[in-house]
Amino acid sequence: MKKRYFTTFELILLALFSALIVVAKIALRFPITLSGHSGIFWMAIVIVGAGIVPKPGATSLMGLTSGLIAAFLGMGDFGALNTFMSYTFVGVGTDIALWLLRDPEHLIGAPVAAAIGHLAKLLFKWVFGIVSGTPVGFVALGLAKAVVGYIVFGALGGLLGALTLRALRRAGFFTYLAEKR
Amino acid sequence: MTQRNRIVIAVILLAALIGGMLGVEALRRSAAQPDLPGEEADYPPGSIPVRLNGDVLAYFTPDDLDSLDTVSFVVDEEGKTQEGWLLRDVLLLLLGPTRLTDACVITVASSSREKSVDLTWVEVADEANKVLFDLSGRGTLKLVSLLERLDVRDEWIQDVDRIDVVCP
Repeated sequence: MKKRYFTTFELILLALFSALIVVAKIALRFPITLSGHSGIFWMAIVIVGAGIVPKPGATSLMGLTSGLIAAFLGMGDFGALNTFMSYTFVGVGTDIALWLLRDPEHLIGAPVAAAIGHLAKLLFKWVFGIVSGTPVGFVALGLAKAVVGYIVFGALGGLLGALTLRALRRAGFFTYLAEKR
Repeated sequence: MTQRNRIVIAVILLAALIGGMLGVEALRRSAAQPDLPGEEADYPPGSIPVRLNGDVLAYFTPDDLDSLDTVSFVVDEEGKTQEGWLLRDVLLLLLGPTRLTDACVITVASSSREKSVDLTWVEVADEANKVLFDLSGRGTLKLVSLLERLDVRDEWIQDVDRIDVVCP
Protein backbone atom coordinates (compact mmCIF):
# COMPACT_ATOMS: atom_id res chain seq x y z
CA MET A 1 0.00 0.00 0.00
CA LYS A 2 1.31 3.42 -0.95
CA LYS A 3 2.47 5.43 2.06
CA ARG A 4 0.61 8.68 2.54
CA TYR A 5 2.60 11.91 2.59
CA PHE A 6 0.95 13.19 5.79
CA THR A 7 -0.03 10.72 8.49
CA THR A 8 -3.47 10.97 10.04
CA PHE A 9 -1.85 12.27 13.21
CA GLU A 10 -0.09 15.04 11.27
CA LEU A 11 -3.28 15.95 9.45
CA ILE A 12 -5.10 16.25 12.78
CA LEU A 13 -2.33 18.47 14.12
CA LEU A 14 -2.43 20.68 11.02
CA ALA A 15 -6.23 20.93 11.23
CA LEU A 16 -5.94 21.99 14.87
CA PHE A 17 -3.38 24.66 13.99
CA SER A 18 -5.62 25.85 11.14
CA ALA A 19 -8.54 26.23 13.53
CA LEU A 20 -6.25 27.98 16.00
CA ILE A 21 -5.25 30.52 13.32
CA VAL A 22 -8.90 31.43 12.74
CA VAL A 23 -9.66 31.54 16.46
CA ALA A 24 -6.62 33.76 17.04
CA LYS A 25 -7.74 36.06 14.24
CA ILE A 26 -11.20 36.40 15.79
CA ALA A 27 -10.40 36.39 19.49
CA LEU A 28 -6.98 37.94 19.98
CA ARG A 29 -6.82 41.72 19.84
CA PHE A 30 -3.68 43.77 19.66
CA PRO A 31 -4.38 47.35 20.73
CA ILE A 32 -2.93 49.00 17.64
CA THR A 33 -4.49 49.66 14.27
CA LEU A 34 -1.56 49.18 11.91
CA SER A 35 -2.15 46.97 8.88
CA GLY A 36 -1.04 43.38 9.38
CA HIS A 37 -0.85 43.56 13.17
CA SER A 38 -2.68 40.24 13.54
CA GLY A 39 0.34 38.60 11.89
CA ILE A 40 2.08 38.55 15.25
CA PHE A 41 -0.31 35.77 16.39
CA TRP A 42 -0.98 34.31 12.99
CA MET A 43 2.60 33.76 11.88
CA ALA A 44 3.61 32.45 15.31
CA ILE A 45 1.05 29.66 14.92
CA VAL A 46 2.13 28.96 11.32
CA ILE A 47 5.79 28.68 12.32
CA VAL A 48 4.97 26.44 15.27
CA GLY A 49 2.89 24.25 12.93
CA ALA A 50 5.78 24.11 10.46
CA GLY A 51 8.12 23.02 13.25
CA ILE A 52 5.80 20.34 14.58
CA VAL A 53 4.97 18.93 11.13
CA PRO A 54 8.30 19.52 9.37
CA LYS A 55 7.30 18.57 5.83
CA PRO A 56 7.07 20.73 2.71
CA GLY A 57 3.41 21.49 2.11
CA ALA A 58 2.46 21.50 5.79
CA THR A 59 2.00 25.27 6.03
CA SER A 60 0.25 25.34 2.64
CA LEU A 61 -2.26 22.83 3.94
CA MET A 62 -2.65 24.89 7.12
CA GLY A 63 -3.29 28.00 5.03
CA LEU A 64 -5.77 26.20 2.81
CA THR A 65 -7.69 24.73 5.74
CA SER A 66 -7.76 27.95 7.76
CA GLY A 67 -8.83 29.78 4.58
CA LEU A 68 -11.77 27.43 4.13
CA ILE A 69 -12.82 27.87 7.76
CA ALA A 70 -12.45 31.67 7.61
CA ALA A 71 -14.35 31.89 4.30
CA PHE A 72 -17.23 29.86 5.71
CA LEU A 73 -17.29 32.08 8.81
CA GLY A 74 -17.67 35.13 6.57
CA MET A 75 -14.43 36.76 7.69
CA GLY A 76 -12.66 39.50 5.74
CA ASP A 77 -13.73 42.74 4.11
CA PHE A 78 -13.61 41.61 0.50
CA GLY A 79 -15.61 38.41 0.22
CA ALA A 80 -15.09 34.68 0.66
CA LEU A 81 -12.71 34.15 -2.27
CA ASN A 82 -10.43 36.95 -1.11
CA THR A 83 -10.43 35.58 2.44
CA PHE A 84 -9.78 32.00 1.33
CA MET A 85 -6.96 32.95 -1.01
CA SER A 86 -5.38 35.36 1.51
CA TYR A 87 -5.10 32.63 4.12
CA THR A 88 -3.87 30.14 1.53
CA PHE A 89 -1.18 32.53 0.33
CA VAL A 90 0.15 32.88 3.87
CA GLY A 91 0.67 29.12 3.97
CA VAL A 92 2.11 28.83 0.47
CA GLY A 93 4.42 31.84 0.96
CA THR A 94 5.72 30.44 4.25
CA ASP A 95 6.19 27.03 2.63
CA ILE A 96 8.29 28.51 -0.16
CA ALA A 97 10.35 30.53 2.33
CA LEU A 98 10.88 27.52 4.60
CA TRP A 99 11.87 25.40 1.60
CA LEU A 100 14.77 27.82 1.26
CA LEU A 101 15.42 28.59 4.92
CA ARG A 102 14.73 25.05 6.20
CA ASP A 103 14.81 25.51 9.98
CA PRO A 104 11.70 27.09 11.57
CA GLU A 105 13.49 27.21 14.94
CA HIS A 106 16.25 29.48 13.66
CA LEU A 107 15.92 32.85 15.37
CA ILE A 108 16.71 34.80 12.19
CA GLY A 109 15.47 32.36 9.58
CA ALA A 110 12.02 31.95 11.14
CA PRO A 111 11.23 35.71 11.27
CA VAL A 112 12.39 36.09 7.65
CA ALA A 113 10.26 33.12 6.54
CA ALA A 114 7.28 34.48 8.46
CA ALA A 115 7.76 37.96 6.99
CA ILE A 116 7.77 36.47 3.47
CA GLY A 117 4.72 34.34 4.24
CA HIS A 118 2.84 37.28 5.68
CA LEU A 119 3.83 39.55 2.81
CA ALA A 120 2.51 36.90 0.39
CA LYS A 121 -0.92 37.58 1.87
CA LEU A 122 -0.62 41.29 1.17
CA LEU A 123 0.73 40.51 -2.30
CA PHE A 124 -2.37 38.49 -3.07
CA LYS A 125 -4.71 41.17 -1.68
CA TRP A 126 -2.94 43.80 -3.74
CA VAL A 127 -3.02 41.77 -6.98
CA PHE A 128 -6.65 40.82 -6.31
CA GLY A 129 -7.39 44.50 -5.81
CA ILE A 130 -5.83 45.43 -9.14
CA VAL A 131 -7.66 42.62 -10.96
CA SER A 132 -10.98 43.52 -9.34
CA GLY A 133 -10.57 47.19 -10.22
CA THR A 134 -9.45 48.78 -6.96
CA PRO A 135 -9.16 52.53 -7.39
CA VAL A 136 -5.59 53.77 -7.58
CA GLY A 137 -6.36 56.48 -5.05
CA PHE A 138 -4.50 56.25 -1.78
CA VAL A 139 -3.14 52.82 -2.51
CA ALA A 140 0.50 53.92 -2.65
CA LEU A 141 0.30 55.62 0.73
CA GLY A 142 -1.53 52.68 2.25
CA LEU A 143 0.56 50.08 0.47
CA ALA A 144 3.88 51.39 1.79
CA LYS A 145 2.44 51.54 5.29
CA ALA A 146 0.85 48.11 4.92
CA VAL A 147 4.10 46.55 3.61
CA VAL A 148 5.98 47.78 6.68
CA GLY A 149 3.23 46.53 8.99
CA TYR A 150 3.03 43.11 7.35
CA ILE A 151 6.79 42.59 7.45
CA VAL A 152 7.34 43.82 11.00
CA PHE A 153 4.42 41.92 12.53
CA GLY A 154 5.05 38.84 10.39
CA ALA A 155 8.68 38.78 11.51
CA LEU A 156 7.69 39.28 15.15
CA GLY A 157 5.24 36.40 14.81
CA GLY A 158 7.97 34.27 13.28
CA LEU A 159 10.30 35.06 16.15
CA LEU A 160 7.58 34.22 18.65
CA GLY A 161 6.98 30.94 16.80
CA ALA A 162 10.69 30.03 16.79
CA LEU A 163 10.95 30.79 20.52
CA THR A 164 7.86 28.68 21.17
CA LEU A 165 9.35 25.78 19.20
CA ARG A 166 12.58 26.03 21.20
CA ALA A 167 10.63 26.06 24.45
CA LEU A 168 8.63 23.03 23.30
CA ARG A 169 11.85 21.20 22.41
CA ARG A 170 13.35 21.97 25.83
CA ALA A 171 10.16 20.75 27.48
CA GLY A 172 10.49 17.40 25.66
CA PHE A 173 7.43 17.92 23.46
CA PHE A 174 9.13 16.61 20.32
CA THR A 175 10.22 13.42 22.11
CA TYR A 176 6.61 12.97 23.22
CA LEU A 177 5.40 13.57 19.66
CA ALA A 178 7.87 11.04 18.25
CA GLU A 179 6.46 8.42 20.59
CA LYS A 180 2.90 9.28 19.55
CA ARG A 181 3.78 8.99 15.87
CA MET B 1 24.67 26.22 1.21
CA THR B 2 25.07 27.72 4.68
CA GLN B 3 22.14 29.03 6.69
CA ARG B 4 23.65 32.51 6.44
CA ASN B 5 23.56 32.37 2.64
CA ARG B 6 19.99 31.07 2.71
CA ILE B 7 18.94 34.00 4.89
CA VAL B 8 20.69 36.47 2.60
CA ILE B 9 18.89 35.01 -0.43
CA ALA B 10 15.56 35.13 1.42
CA VAL B 11 16.11 38.76 2.43
CA ILE B 12 16.95 39.62 -1.20
CA LEU B 13 13.76 37.83 -2.26
CA LEU B 14 11.79 39.82 0.32
CA ALA B 15 13.33 43.11 -0.85
CA ALA B 16 12.57 42.20 -4.48
CA LEU B 17 8.94 41.51 -3.57
CA ILE B 18 8.61 44.84 -1.79
CA GLY B 19 10.38 46.73 -4.57
CA GLY B 20 8.23 45.05 -7.20
CA MET B 21 4.98 45.87 -5.43
CA LEU B 22 5.84 49.49 -4.70
CA GLY B 23 7.32 49.96 -8.18
CA VAL B 24 4.28 48.59 -9.99
CA GLU B 25 2.01 50.65 -7.73
CA ALA B 26 3.99 53.80 -8.48
CA LEU B 27 3.68 53.05 -12.23
CA ARG B 28 -0.04 52.46 -11.79
CA ARG B 29 -0.42 55.79 -10.07
CA SER B 30 1.58 57.69 -12.65
CA ALA B 31 -0.41 56.10 -15.46
CA ALA B 32 -3.76 56.73 -13.81
CA GLN B 33 -6.10 58.74 -15.99
CA PRO B 34 -9.50 60.16 -15.26
CA ASP B 35 -12.05 57.51 -16.12
CA LEU B 36 -15.11 59.65 -15.87
CA PRO B 37 -16.37 62.07 -18.51
CA GLY B 38 -15.77 65.70 -17.78
CA GLU B 39 -12.70 65.22 -15.60
CA GLU B 40 -10.04 67.85 -15.79
CA ALA B 41 -6.72 67.16 -17.42
CA ASP B 42 -4.86 67.93 -14.20
CA TYR B 43 -6.48 65.03 -12.36
CA PRO B 44 -3.93 64.17 -9.67
CA PRO B 45 -3.08 60.45 -9.88
CA GLY B 46 -4.27 58.56 -6.83
CA SER B 47 -6.89 61.05 -5.79
CA ILE B 48 -10.63 60.99 -5.23
CA PRO B 49 -12.70 63.66 -7.00
CA VAL B 50 -15.05 65.63 -4.77
CA ARG B 51 -18.04 67.08 -6.62
CA LEU B 52 -20.37 69.81 -5.49
CA ASN B 53 -23.67 69.82 -7.40
CA GLY B 54 -22.04 67.86 -10.22
CA ASP B 55 -18.92 69.98 -10.65
CA VAL B 56 -15.52 68.71 -9.57
CA LEU B 57 -14.37 71.26 -7.00
CA ALA B 58 -11.47 69.43 -5.43
CA TYR B 59 -9.47 66.24 -5.39
CA PHE B 60 -8.88 64.38 -2.16
CA THR B 61 -5.25 63.29 -2.21
CA PRO B 62 -3.12 61.36 0.28
CA ASP B 63 -1.25 64.59 1.06
CA ASP B 64 -4.47 66.06 2.49
CA LEU B 65 -4.38 63.49 5.26
CA ASP B 66 -1.32 65.12 6.82
CA SER B 67 -3.39 68.07 7.93
CA LEU B 68 -6.22 66.02 9.41
CA ASP B 69 -6.51 64.47 12.86
CA THR B 70 -7.37 60.80 13.20
CA VAL B 71 -10.18 59.46 15.33
CA SER B 72 -11.19 55.91 16.17
CA PHE B 73 -13.97 53.74 17.50
CA VAL B 74 -14.45 50.06 18.20
CA VAL B 75 -16.99 47.99 16.28
CA ASP B 76 -19.09 46.35 19.03
CA GLU B 77 -19.81 43.13 17.17
CA GLU B 78 -16.25 42.31 16.18
CA GLY B 79 -14.19 44.27 18.68
CA LYS B 80 -12.30 45.70 15.71
CA THR B 81 -10.89 49.22 15.94
CA GLN B 82 -11.67 51.54 13.05
CA GLU B 83 -9.28 54.44 12.85
CA GLY B 84 -9.03 57.18 10.29
CA TRP B 85 -10.08 60.61 9.15
CA LEU B 86 -13.55 62.10 9.61
CA LEU B 87 -15.48 62.72 6.38
CA ARG B 88 -16.56 66.00 8.00
CA ASP B 89 -12.95 67.17 8.26
CA VAL B 90 -12.19 66.07 4.69
CA LEU B 91 -15.15 68.04 3.30
CA LEU B 92 -14.42 71.09 5.43
CA LEU B 93 -10.82 71.02 4.22
CA LEU B 94 -11.67 70.63 0.55
CA LEU B 95 -14.92 72.61 0.22
CA GLY B 96 -14.75 75.02 3.12
CA PRO B 97 -17.44 75.59 5.76
CA THR B 98 -19.52 78.12 3.84
CA ARG B 99 -20.64 75.74 1.09
CA LEU B 100 -21.90 73.05 3.46
CA THR B 101 -25.35 73.46 4.96
CA ASP B 102 -27.66 71.15 6.89
CA ALA B 103 -29.61 70.43 3.71
CA CYS B 104 -26.59 69.06 1.85
CA VAL B 105 -26.55 65.35 0.97
CA ILE B 106 -23.21 63.62 0.64
CA THR B 107 -22.88 60.46 -1.46
CA VAL B 108 -19.79 58.33 -0.92
CA ALA B 109 -19.38 55.63 -3.56
CA SER B 110 -17.16 52.81 -4.71
CA SER B 111 -17.39 52.03 -8.42
CA SER B 112 -15.43 48.78 -8.15
CA ARG B 113 -17.72 47.41 -5.44
CA GLU B 114 -20.85 49.08 -6.83
CA LYS B 115 -21.80 50.42 -3.41
CA SER B 116 -22.75 53.86 -2.20
CA VAL B 117 -24.32 55.58 0.76
CA ASP B 118 -26.19 58.87 1.09
CA LEU B 119 -25.58 60.89 4.23
CA THR B 120 -26.88 64.26 5.31
CA TRP B 121 -24.44 66.94 6.37
CA VAL B 122 -26.07 66.88 9.82
CA GLU B 123 -25.11 63.21 10.20
CA VAL B 124 -21.61 63.76 8.84
CA ALA B 125 -20.96 66.84 10.96
CA ASP B 126 -21.96 65.12 14.18
CA GLU B 127 -18.67 63.75 15.52
CA ALA B 128 -20.55 61.27 17.69
CA ASN B 129 -21.56 59.38 14.51
CA LYS B 130 -17.88 58.81 13.67
CA VAL B 131 -18.36 58.91 9.91
CA LEU B 132 -14.77 58.24 8.96
CA PHE B 133 -12.42 56.85 6.34
CA ASP B 134 -10.41 53.93 7.63
CA LEU B 135 -7.40 52.77 5.61
CA SER B 136 -8.14 49.22 4.49
CA GLY B 137 -5.54 46.47 4.56
CA ARG B 138 -4.72 47.01 0.91
CA GLY B 139 -4.45 50.75 1.30
CA THR B 140 -7.73 52.02 -0.08
CA LEU B 141 -10.25 54.06 1.87
CA LYS B 142 -13.20 52.41 3.59
CA LEU B 143 -16.12 54.48 4.89
CA VAL B 144 -17.33 53.26 8.27
CA SER B 145 -19.49 54.79 10.98
CA LEU B 146 -21.49 54.21 14.11
CA LEU B 147 -24.61 55.13 12.12
CA GLU B 148 -27.02 52.19 11.87
CA ARG B 149 -26.73 51.93 8.08
CA LEU B 150 -22.94 51.92 8.11
CA ASP B 151 -22.06 50.02 11.25
CA VAL B 152 -21.56 46.47 9.96
CA ARG B 153 -19.08 45.03 7.50
CA ASP B 154 -21.60 44.48 4.68
CA GLU B 155 -22.65 48.13 4.85
CA TRP B 156 -19.17 49.67 4.84
CA ILE B 157 -18.13 51.32 1.58
CA GLN B 158 -14.78 49.78 0.68
CA ASP B 159 -12.48 51.13 -2.06
CA VAL B 160 -14.06 54.60 -2.06
CA ASP B 161 -13.38 56.46 -5.30
CA ARG B 162 -16.05 59.14 -5.45
CA ILE B 163 -17.56 61.78 -3.16
CA ASP B 164 -20.59 63.76 -4.41
CA VAL B 165 -22.11 66.63 -2.46
CA VAL B 166 -25.48 67.99 -3.47
CA CYS B 167 -26.65 71.18 -1.79
CA PRO B 168 -29.95 72.83 -2.71
